[in-house]
Amino acid sequence: MSEKTEPIIRVNDLHVSIKMDEGTLTPVRGVSFEIKPGETLGLVGESGCGKSLTSKAILGINDKKCHSGGEILFQGDDGKVIDLLKLDPQGKPIRAIRGKQISMIFQEPMVAFSPMYTIGNQINECTRLHITKDKKESKAITLEMMKKVGIANAEKRYDQFPHEFSGGMLQRALIAMALVCKPRLLIADEPTTALDVTIQAQILELMQQLQKELGMAILFITHDLGTVAKMCDRVAVMYLGRIVETGTAREIYKNPQHPYTRGLMGSVHKIGSRKLDRLFSIEGTVPLALNLRPGCGFYDRCDVRVEGVCDKAEPETCCIEGTHCAACVHCRKGGAEK
Amino acid sequence: MSEKAEKNLILQVQHISKRFTSKGVCVRAVTDVSFDVRKGETIGIVGESGCGKTTLGRCIVRAINASEGEVKYTARDGVTYDFLKLDKKEMKKVRKEIQMVFQDPYSSLDPRMTVIDIIAEPLKANFPKMPKAEIEQKVIEIAKKVGLNTTYLKRYPHAFSGGQRQRIGTARALILNPQVIVCDEAVSALDVSIQAQIINLLKDLQKELQLTYIFISHDLSVVEHISDKVGVMYLGRLVEFGETEKLFSRPCHPYTEALLSAVPIADPDIQNERIPLQGEIPNPANPPSGCYFHERCKYCQEKCKHDVPDLREVDGRMVACHFADEMHLRGFDYDQA
Amino acid sequence: MSNPDKKALRAAKKAEKARIKEEKYYLASQWQLMARKLGKHQLARLSLVILGFLYIVALFGDFLAPYNLTEYDANSKDLPPTAIHFMYEGEYIGPYVFKSEWGTLKMSVAEMSKAKKEAEARGETFSTRQIITDETTPLKLHWFVHGSSYKILGLFESDLHLFGIEGGKIFLFGSDNLGRDLFSRIILGSQVSLTIPFAGTLISFVLGLLIGSVSGYFGGTVDNVIQRIIEVLNSLPSLPLWMALSAAIPAGIPPVQMYLLITVILSLIGWTGLARVVRGKFMSLKNEDYVLAARLAGVSDMKIIMKHMVPGFMSYLIVSLTLGIPSMIIGETSMSFLGLGIQAPATSWGVLLKEAQNVTNIVSHPWCLIPLFFVVLTVLAFNFLGDGMRDAADPYK
Repeated sequence: MSEKTEPIIRVNDLHVSIKMDEGTLTPVRGVSFEIKPGETLGLVGESGCGKSLTSKAILGINDKKCHSGGEILFQGDDGKVIDLLKLDPQGKPIRAIRGKQISMIFQEPMVAFSPMYTIGNQINECTRLHITKDKKESKAITLEMMKKVGIANAEKRYDQFPHEFSGGMLQRALIAMALVCKPRLLIADEPTTALDVTIQAQILELMQQLQKELGMAILFITHDLGTVAKMCDRVAVMYLGRIVETGTAREIYKNPQHPYTRGLMGSVHKIGSRKLDRLFSIEGTVPLALNLRPGCGFYDRCDVRVEGVCDKAEPETCCIEGTHCAACVHCRKGGAEK
Repeated sequence: MSEKAEKNLILQVQHISKRFTSKGVCVRAVTDVSFDVRKGETIGIVGESGCGKTTLGRCIVRAINASEGEVKYTARDGVTYDFLKLDKKEMKKVRKEIQMVFQDPYSSLDPRMTVIDIIAEPLKANFPKMPKAEIEQKVIEIAKKVGLNTTYLKRYPHAFSGGQRQRIGTARALILNPQVIVCDEAVSALDVSIQAQIINLLKDLQKELQLTYIFISHDLSVVEHISDKVGVMYLGRLVEFGETEKLFSRPCHPYTEALLSAVPIADPDIQNERIPLQGEIPNPANPPSGCYFHERCKYCQEKCKHDVPDLREVDGRMVACHFADEMHLRGFDYDQA
Repeated sequence: MSNPDKKALRAAKKAEKARIKEEKYYLASQWQLMARKLGKHQLARLSLVILGFLYIVALFGDFLAPYNLTEYDANSKDLPPTAIHFMYEGEYIGPYVFKSEWGTLKMSVAEMSKAKKEAEARGETFSTRQIITDETTPLKLHWFVHGSSYKILGLFESDLHLFGIEGGKIFLFGSDNLGRDLFSRIILGSQVSLTIPFAGTLISFVLGLLIGSVSGYFGGTVDNVIQRIIEVLNSLPSLPLWMALSAAIPAGIPPVQMYLLITVILSLIGWTGLARVVRGKFMSLKNEDYVLAARLAGVSDMKIIMKHMVPGFMSYLIVSLTLGIPSMIIGETSMSFLGLGIQAPATSWGVLLKEAQNVTNIVSHPWCLIPLFFVVLTVLAFNFLGDGMRDAADPYK
């Protein structure tokens, strides 16, 4: 991965807000990141931090009540850069991108397929829509993809219905559906959360292998720090609608700078290591992103908060070294202070 | 086993089986599971979905009736009962000593009752003559213990977040002063930072109240952290049961080995090589012959296809594998990490 | 006080208000939460107001209706709605009407033949018997007049009516072929049409609750038998069943007993849907974790049912009750329309609509369809209310 490659997607200052009776909910408040070809960015955070809404904003499939602001610059395969937010969410241009150039894998494979159609039929739908109208050719492409994701006996499986598949197999089929058009960007929203560990490992390895083959970029959304460490080149940690820390996986795991990242790391027992008596835990709970006060979103739960500073203004993002940046007043260049 | 250890036995799960029959098909959810629990221990039960761990937990607390087997429970008064065969009157006496914490913090609390009523319900049911003031005082005491803000007790559950609800559920389980608590995926539905809070709480309470936990979870890292001993289940059977560190560092059953190798480690520098499992978990209505694991086991031999292995002691733990003492399986290297 | 201080104070007050509101929400029970949610449903709120109005009218019907059921006047049959005037000879004298009734025209033979010719030219038949309006003497509308006597809420004797005129009759909605006031009959008919469904659903409610819980709680064979019975009942076409059942009612029994019997007939068929709802809720609640938790805590079965399960499905029950009332209203109306229900002189909206069975009648006296408007209004209002309640039934979602 050379430094000069243009990112496939660059999200600039993305905002998502929802108007409610009680006020305005702001689940995403100024998120920026970019992903280069062949790279995997892990978007980590707990429930309610806005990670799913961010991914849905990219595809333009957010609820009608959501208002998105900012820029999502996507470089299509023709080399042109377009702002996805400016496209009509029901319009033709975005539909040509959805499924073809950007596709998505969902958390629950069971509900991602319609029970009324065969698996082959549903994967084929994507092929026929974006690649070829020829029935024979599209079926051949579909079968090839099904074999590639490790569905044994693909010809027979093609005509089976979702209920005849196990959870792991369905997730494979879902991946086949997402990748059959060879997208430039794959959004994986908690793709393995609903699966058992042994199947999770298979699916993650499959994704890595396919990424190498197809050279696509992956936006990997999860709350599981273990899978992130296994999968991702770079990590962005989200809290309350903001990215609080970004960096390479090693930087984040070995030298977490933001108190939230540190707390998150401390909350998880690293399997296969000596037992600590207690886990580190962050006090309190994630607040609702409704009528937020000024200042750092993590203020109430932070163990190193500075009164009069952190509760006055949002801390600026400061880069420690290279790509490793954190939005905390305690962060200095060089990362001297801990 | 020494005399003293024998004395500390609180729960002896013996040959528990549970069969469900529906539309003429018999599904063996749990088959012949046995293990001992000592006072103050935490036993972790791990396994993948459909392995019968939840059914086992529910059989132990007698939420459902086991088809076969016994749960010998040594109550506070020193008498050992067969918990599963107690009649109504004895049950009323012993019931309160074995309680349960549930997975879903949302469906486990009745949304129509205030928190104080939810926590007090077991008290009211077991001590109908207890004066109101005493009940209230006990509820406040226990609420403080689990870290609930006592000014909020008059609120309804919808006012609380998942973590706080799990604290309420824990308070309800604790108010009868039980000895054994079965935690069925008690932290699985919670966010990571909240998980840590609840795990710490459970550990603190254990120390303070000398509780014994049976901790059922699919999350191996949580189980490793909290448990003294771990039981690994596969297709309704206990395949390995032993001390956590021993079992995680040198597993003796091929399934345990494969399971451990599949867990992603939260450290980008450690990439453990996964031991691939062939095929998928068989249908529990139609389990394979011999060792249930043989079709997916890479060490499978002819004997495994015909003979069901017994749970036997190998290397200081219980294993159900014919070749447990001949193999050297890979686990986690504790000294390196 | 400086400006920023004031601002801060205002902000603090606002925050305090928000906190109190939040606190109220946290302390709100299920029913309070439901009421909140229902209050946000515009149509349901409007329906509630309309229904409240209709029921109050029914409750004080004898007072609001100018005439009672037995009053008739041969000279005022099939009269169109009486027009109400306010200005008389350029002067405001308050609401008044002109006396209007059937009479014979006094005219010469020549006039008569001329009028006959004109009428024939228009394609009409000429008759000397016509509605004659006496526009010379305005009859003032009076408030709180004494008329026929009745019992207030069935208790106190009274003869006071809200309004009336002296020296003539007022027909706000016209009159029927016996010269009875449609307006009074609609109001008095509502006393039957609006209460039979309530009494009926009450019986259905008890039956449905009992049979449904037995079915849901015991399960197995009992459940199977009850479900089959429900299916058989549901498969019977309702019209023939009504006819069969009302044939069983002996002829010539007093209206009150008739009324009760019709209620019973309607509810004997109406409980099946409710029993299904109860059974389904029972079965799903049986598997809730909190029910298991209560069982593990040693709470007795009866207490679990009363404290956890019944409150759990009560809101759904009320919803299906509300949605069940319209079919009961329609049921009563249909039975009476077919002549199987209430018999004259007692009346209901269905009995009133019976007069609209004849097409020529509808053409010449379109006002006989006015009761239909009230049937539609009530049924719609109940449906909208039920709709709103269904949305509010589970406030925890």
